[in-house]
Amino acid sequence: MTEKNKLLVALAGQPNVGKSTVFNILTGLSQHVGNWPGKTVEKKEGLFVSGNTEIRIVDLPGAYSLTAFSEEERLARDFVIKERPDVVILLTNSAALERSLYLLSEVLLLGSPVILGLNMIDVAEEQGLQIDVEALKNFLGIPAVPLIAAKNRGIKELILQVISLAKGKSEYNPLIPEVSPDHKEVFIDLVETTKEHIPQPYPVNWVVTKLMEGDPEVMDMLKKFLPVEKWVKVESLLQKHEDSQLAIIGGRYDWIEDAIRSSVSRYRRGQILLTDRLDHVLTRPVFGIPILLGILGIVFLLTYGLGSPLQGLLEWLINSFARLIDPFLRRAPEWIKGIMIDGIIGGAGTVLTFLPVLLIFFAAMAFLEDVGYMARAAFVMDRFMHTIGLHGKSFLPIFLGFGCNVPAVLGARIIESERAKILTILVAPFVPCTARLAVLALIAAAVFGGSGAFVSWSLVALNILALGITGMFINRFFLKGQKMPFIMELPVYHKPNPKTIGIVVWNRLKAFIKRAGTVILGFSVFIWIISNIPGGTIEESLLGWIGRLIGPLGTPLGLDWKMIVALLGSFVAKENSIAMLGVLYGVGEEGLRNVLPTVMSHASALSFLVVIMLFIPCAATVAVMKQEIGSWKWLLFSFVLMFLISFGGAFIAYRLALFLGI
Amino acid sequence: MPEGRKVKGVKEYMTVDLLPLNSLREGEKGIIHFISGGYGLISRLASMGMAPGMQVTILRNSGGPLLVLTNGTRIAIGKGQSSKIMVSRIKIKKDKKVNDREK
Repeated sequence: MTEKNKLLVALAGQPNVGKSTVFNILTGLSQHVGNWPGKTVEKKEGLFVSGNTEIRIVDLPGAYSLTAFSEEERLARDFVIKERPDVVILLTNSAALERSLYLLSEVLLLGSPVILGLNMIDVAEEQGLQIDVEALKNFLGIPAVPLIAAKNRGIKELILQVISLAKGKSEYNPLIPEVSPDHKEVFIDLVETTKEHIPQPYPVNWVVTKLMEGDPEVMDMLKKFLPVEKWVKVESLLQKHEDSQLAIIGGRYDWIEDAIRSSVSRYRRGQILLTDRLDHVLTRPVFGIPILLGILGIVFLLTYGLGSPLQGLLEWLINSFARLIDPFLRRAPEWIKGIMIDGIIGGAGTVLTFLPVLLIFFAAMAFLEDVGYMARAAFVMDRFMHTIGLHGKSFLPIFLGFGCNVPAVLGARIIESERAKILTILVAPFVPCTARLAVLALIAAAVFGGSGAFVSWSLVALNILALGITGMFINRFFLKGQKMPFIMELPVYHKPNPKTIGIVVWNRLKAFIKRAGTVILGFSVFIWIISNIPGGTIEESLLGWIGRLIGPLGTPLGLDWKMIVALLGSFVAKENSIAMLGVLYGVGEEGLRNVLPTVMSHASALSFLVVIMLFIPCAATVAVMKQEIGSWKWLLFSFVLMFLISFGGAFIAYRLALFLGI
Repeated sequence: MPEGRKVKGVKEYMTVDLLPLNSLREGEKGIIHFISGGYGLISRLASMGMAPGMQVTILRNSGGPLLVLTNGTRIAIGKGQSSKIMVSRIKIKKDKKVNDREK
């Protein structure tokens, strides 16, 4: 066997060009999703084997250009400059070729050979655009392959071309865009001044282009490497030509215009697009908002209508399983049995029972994202999000929180501005997740009977209100200053792609299982131990002792020490509070429905529910919050705030309920 | 004029009245003259197809963010940002029939 040829290929492309579709076709199940070292940006890579060539494909973060504007763009350019992939595949949306070529104009400067993947060529044709691939190839001087990734067409040809380009067998004489003519002299001047000081592996032309664009990161780098007198010269040149950023952009668009003119013809007026017809209704506030509410209503109906029976079934299966293995543990010491059945099976069971509900919810959300609807939702929600200091882009991550707060916090990654990202993460825990809704539904129905549904709805509304007020408060007093630009592309609507949806759902579920699963399991065992040691019963245990110690805290809110202990348990997983109440009142979960009304007054129950809904989120959410925000300061801030809001809210609810005699 | 085709010699338009993008009404078209923003805003808009000389069509302007079409790309832009984009309005009367068909 000869040794395999190994190639490193980077996949680049602006958002909404079908990049993930191509990546999924190429790498399939071999793909590995991780993080870029030290960053909270996803790094996806996978293998593609063709004959005796093994291609490692790295999916570069989606970027419109390669500025220092966002973390994604910085990572993409650093990767190409430092890792020197053998080939960069640049995917385009052929129906919007101009802007796709804009990214190409930047990538060409980075040094690696580039191949153009002209994706969505069918969409372009529908719109009456014909692209002469040969002419485009000749103009740009780089290989180009037409693709319809959604139908898996052209991918093989693309790979053949990639291999041929990597081996140096393809013609490759790229025409690189130049700065507009009136700034050419400055450009050359800057190159002459800096070139001997620019360290490997940075290409000189790229550095100077970025310098003229005013890229802060490149400016800092150059300031470090240039001798003082040269830096002063560079600075004065740049100051004299303040408009050099426009000269760079102008030069790029001149080049793009020539490329388009050489290869694209509009042979007929495109038909009126489905997208325009749908947008005519969906982006108009009068229709768009009611439709959005309707769609989200259907998502919830589907989630709970289908998910709840499945959840019940799984609970039954897990309880049966626990009963089944019970006899085998008869000989084992009591503590092993306890840890096994209550800790491990109980904890894992909790995680498992939430899977059907989350699966359906995430699938519905991924479907709406994939067809292009969520961008419209973000658009119509933007004006409301502004009142709490956020904008439309935060809508999707926040809404994901109704499933589970963990993917909601992780979902905030799509937000470019650091400030908006932090604010989104801080308000996300106020969204009532499936677990909190389960606790709410059970207790409200048990204590309030017929008015249970009304109480539940009011408390969900209270959460949304708390989210809004907290957002406004943090925005007004703690995050002053930086502005958040809202610029977002609304992609063309298209048919859902089951594979793309499947992968999104799988990644979100995996995040839940990995984070929530491990944390819940670990804490379940821990809670079992401290609720059984030293006494053997919860009353005489460490947990009971802690509960009685801090119990008086609950008195003004109408909560006894048992309820306080249940709240502590809710930190592991919100639904744990049900199990703990069952144990503490000595009735088990089944008997709870009958016992709760006798031990909890209406006012106390209301107070308890307010705390459950607004309290510090579960351990898994806290863990990802820490990971995504990266600072303890904000996390502590969030704890204190949520503690105050939940206890303050409960106090008011309790006193109000007593006063009104509810 | 095809959507988004760059217009050479932007300076010729300098005598034309310039107005912020968000003052155009739905269905109106304009040509971008300059963007009074920082490095980030200008680069981001340019990479999405909005640079001086480009033509944009307003798809939605109802108080919230703007929805514009440029080069076959639909872009939502917040109110604050869109007021920094200075455009000249393109008179559409002579091309009215075509425009009606487009709707």
